[in-house]
Amino acid sequence: MNTPDDNKLSAWLDGELDAQEAAQVEAWLGERPEAAARVREWAADRDALRARFDPVLNERSPQRLTKAVLESGSRLARPWALAAAMAGVFVLGGAVGALVAWQAAHTDPAALAQQAPVPWVQRAAVAHSVYVPEVRHPVEVNVADRTAPDVRAQEEHLARWLTRRLDVPVKLFDLREHGYELVGGRLLPDVAGPSAQLMYQRAGGGERVTVYLRKPDSGPEADAPAAFHYARRGELGLFYWVEGAAGYALVGALPRDKLLALAEAIHRQGSAVEVPALR
Amino acid sequence: MDAPAAFRQQLLAAIPRLRRYARSLMLDAHAADDLVQTTLERALAHWHQFDQRRDLVVWLIGIAHHAHLDELRRNARLTVVDPAQAQAHADARSFDPGPDLGLRVDLVAALRRLPLEQREPLLLVAVEQLSYAECATVLHLPVGTVMSRISRGRVALRALLEGQGREAKAARTLRRVI
Repeated sequence: MNTPDDNKLSAWLDGELDAQEAAQVEAWLGERPEAAARVREWAADRDALRARFDPVLNERSPQRLTKAVLESGSRLARPWALAAAMAGVFVLGGAVGALVAWQAAHTDPAALAQQAPVPWVQRAAVAHSVYVPEVRHPVEVNVADRTAPDVRAQEEHLARWLTRRLDVPVKLFDLREHGYELVGGRLLPDVAGPSAQLMYQRAGGGERVTVYLRKPDSGPEADAPAAFHYARRGELGLFYWVEGAAGYALVGALPRDKLLALAEAIHRQGSAVEVPALR
Repeated sequence: MDAPAAFRQQLLAAIPRLRRYARSLMLDAHAADDLVQTTLERALAHWHQFDQRRDLVVWLIGIAHHAHLDELRRNARLTVVDPAQAQAHADARSFDPGPDLGLRVDLVAALRRLPLEQREPLLLVAVEQLSYAECATVLHLPVGTVMSRISRGRVALRALLEGQGREAKAARTLRRVI
């Protein structure tokens, strides 16, 4: 027969050839020990793959999966049922909320771990809680409530000042697309040096979110790829990540998806442009 | 209408095989079970679309394949990691050395580096022992494409396993906790 190509040899190994073709391939392999050795290696790889993953078959199915099959699913998928269930939650209100919180705190160590993220993220959350309620002095350098050229000059001043003090390129993120205006920023003490807080406010005097910036602790993480981490502390949600020369924590009393949209915008802008450090 | 009890029982029986497929695809126990859960939920929501003359596992694997693609698209821009989850990942890894440590590390590292379009059909045929026709149905590809991707996958996997000693470590760290 003609020399069978890899497709045919591989199909033979998988038992996909009809009897006549299979016999031809076998005859051909019988005369080509090198080709036969190659196919034997493929067979060994196949057996190794099976040996690696077959043990999963003997594991006990996790409870969450059996539960998903037996309990949840189509019942709540019906819109009216979902609406009814949610109405029930509202009626029961605080009692249910308290119960859920109690259960989370007592039965789920993951929930506890989420309340205690890394120390600098904790500081970001505290700084948020301290300054966000401020009416008259929420920030040190105010850029809001000015005329346009003034705003630009003040923004430039703020970015340069923080960049110089942090030794980290500080960019003032534009979150107007998401409905948030920059209020201003301030310098804060971190453990090993200064950090910065930028404050944004939802247009029309709405809720505030803060971005905490710091120079990351030196370590191998510096050139690792960015990963977003999420944590909740009571009402506050936090997204934090390290990218390039800066650590970022976005803090706000927002649902996770809204906060994530802001975090993504910041991440995009942060990696796109860097304000050079001017001394 | 709710999925009937008989269908739920069939689903329960299919979980081990679904988990094996998901584990081989994700190479991470936690992510794999997330995929299985999504698959089961979708299967329950669309149970009436299942033709009882077909193989349930093949149908479920098809759902899982699409759920995985959806997830890849969603995550294309960013990786989101809960600290608690990341810890759970690390724990799961350190407590599950697998049946043969040396073999596992090489094989898994090589699989990780195999392009998904080759890895998935190869796993479906080698591990799940689907026929090429079933594999083509699951992946929405012509049988000829499935056949050539499998053979290319085999050649690539072999090359990775043979040339791996030096580079195995480089592929390890994909995420980190700050």
